[in-house]
Amino acid sequence: MNSEQNNKLQDTERLKEIPKWTRKYAQNRTLTILVLMVMVVFFSMFIAALVGFPLGLAAIGFRKGNMVLGCVGTAVLVAALVAIVKFYIVILSKFGGKNKGLLDQIIDRWIYGNEVTTTVPVPKSSKKKICLEIVSAVIFFICFFGSWHLAIKGYIAYKYLQPVSALYIVPFVVCGWYFWQSPRMGPIYLLSPILYAIHAILIVAGAPLFFTTENFCMFSICLPMLGYGFLPFVIGHFYSRYALKKLKDIAHLEREAANGV
Amino acid sequence: MEFDKIIHEPARLRIMMILSGVEQADFNFLLTTLSLTRGNLSRHVEKLESAGYLKVKKSFNGKMPNTSYQLTEEGSKALAQYWENLDAVRRWKG
Repeated sequence: MNSEQNNKLQDTERLKEIPKWTRKYAQNRTLTILVLMVMVVFFSMFIAALVGFPLGLAAIGFRKGNMVLGCVGTAVLVAALVAIVKFYIVILSKFGGKNKGLLDQIIDRWIYGNEVTTTVPVPKSSKKKICLEIVSAVIFFICFFGSWHLAIKGYIAYKYLQPVSALYIVPFVVCGWYFWQSPRMGPIYLLSPILYAIHAILIVAGAPLFFTTENFCMFSICLPMLGYGFLPFVIGHFYSRYALKKLKDIAHLEREAANGV
Repeated sequence: MEFDKIIHEPARLRIMMILSGVEQADFNFLLTTLSLTRGNLSRHVEKLESAGYLKVKKSFNGKMPNTSYQLTEEGSKALAQYWENLDAVRRWKG
């Protein structure tokens, strides 16, 4: 076999990598999910403030016998709740039901607009899956607030709050990826539970990566959860750039070959 | 052993390979990835579509029309067969 034939053979062999890089590129366009996550976090904080502020105002008013302040707080709270319900109705009518996924598409187009689209199969939803989602979310929150309560009561040392949380957060995230995200997101998503577990091991080994006061103890869980949660999405985005470059390198056609119809 | 002439053409083979990696890809993605002209790409996908290897989906992205392509089951089988044949020839040539 001469060198020209050898080169041709190698080129053809490289073509077998096209599906792999295309899939990696599509799976790692994670900036859309990151933007969605940031939106959800900020929106949750906004809702918490919207409800928490008048609730606190009303509580202080009634506790101190200031009826005017209490009534104003209650009225603002009711108005805020009505506004939130109305907002949810509008959002659900625009992006729920038949339009499910439209918000993702809009953000995707906004971020990757010039880069056009490829999609990997989205995991199909079923009633069984939705029930499983709800049950696992309930278990997760019971564990989350349960461990917090136990730490405040003194049954779990603040130091071990994050390592204890790793016992339920890591399996929850891994199962979540396996059942609901794969194959939409690649295995890079598993980086976050791995880092979270390493963080827990470091704490057990004696590293001071935790908060020791009652007011801040939940930050020992929330900060690593957010930090390690966002990291794979950022890395994924850069990896998608690399995958696209690789894909273009392999799939690029010379002019002569491109014209042969 | 005979190669599928529709797939054997370099541009069409690449189109099939790209589509085998994802659920669907749109016209512009194929255009930029393969560096083909619009006319050439249209003719290639037409050939693949008429062979039953591709499924065309037309939709709107906002107000912009969008055409995306999906590999059919027949297309997946033909592609797998193509690589099988090619590997067999390579083994035979040693």
